[in-house]
Amino acid sequence: MECERWEGRLAAYLEDELGGAERTAVEDHLQACPACRELLDLLRSVQVSLRSIPEVEPSPALQRRLAAVPDRKKRLRFGFDLFLNPSLQPVLAAATVVLTLISFYAFSPRRSSINKSFERQIHLGYHKIAKLYTQAESLASSLAGYKDSLMVSLQTTYPLQRDEE
Amino acid sequence: MLVNSYSKKIFNLAYQFSGNYEAAEDLTQEIFLKLYGSLQKFDFSRNFTAWLLTLSKNYLIDQYRKTKREKSSRDEFDEHLVAADRRDGPEESAVQRENQKLVWYGLSQLSPDIRMAVILRDIQGKSYHEIAEIMSLPLGTVKSRVNRGRLQLARILQTESEVGHGM
Repeated sequence: MECERWEGRLAAYLEDELGGAERTAVEDHLQACPACRELLDLLRSVQVSLRSIPEVEPSPALQRRLAAVPDRKKRLRFGFDLFLNPSLQPVLAAATVVLTLISFYAFSPRRSSINKSFERQIHLGYHKIAKLYTQAESLASSLAGYKDSLMVSLQTTYPLQRDEE
Repeated sequence: MLVNSYSKKIFNLAYQFSGNYEAAEDLTQEIFLKLYGSLQKFDFSRNFTAWLLTLSKNYLIDQYRKTKREKSSRDEFDEHLVAADRRDGPEESAVQRENQKLVWYGLSQLSPDIRMAVILRDIQGKSYHEIAEIMSLPLGTVKSRVNRGRLQLARILQTESEVGHGM
């Protein structure tokens, strides 16, 4: 336990970072303490081992993948830019409104009353169309009546003229 | 070109941190994707290498916390590293080679922050000031992390050598 307080100084000692008095104190302790001498040797071995870990070459496959990264990023950016294109803004705004209305309808607690209201409106619309159709039929039949009487009057006028000739 | 200048540096950082060659390739690609996405945010008054290493460090530690995959899949030490080490000679002792292996596996026992500090200091040879800038930490904290990492690795060597002598 006594040695624990020296452990932190051993690394600084190894890196030659201690001032004169502190350095001497560590050296005095090392002479008297085999455990700390062993730890210092181990710390040296750790440093040597770490420093001798070599650099590894990236594989050609990785180099190719990395060389393609700027193009890939450009494509991603192009897609994003297209989405933000000002000419698409009205379409996106309309789509947002439609989606909002659909979501209001889909998640509304009064969905059944909205359905009923829709049905009533459709029924009224159908009824109006039927009424208009009937009116159009009666108009067509009265027009046919006018046409008949016009034809009769024409026939009665023209035969008279032919008789005079 | 950024890729030519920095791919080896970033790949090695990813490999030393994750310990897995394939994972390091994926991590490197993701870091470069992030880099190209963040270039607009780069402050030109800063050191670019330090900024890139900060971005890489953040990504590697975040991914570690999300996946923790390398804990069970650190490569065999000999697989890529020995092939890459041209400094090896017949004079290199078996003890030294064994220590290298133990330290390589021991890196995965360190917490990600301590591991990153040890890698930057002792494998990549950065100064404490550079590491403080990369890790956005005070100098004292960096020194303390490196020291704690080395002590943990020394304990691993000690335990293994005791087990070896015991057998």
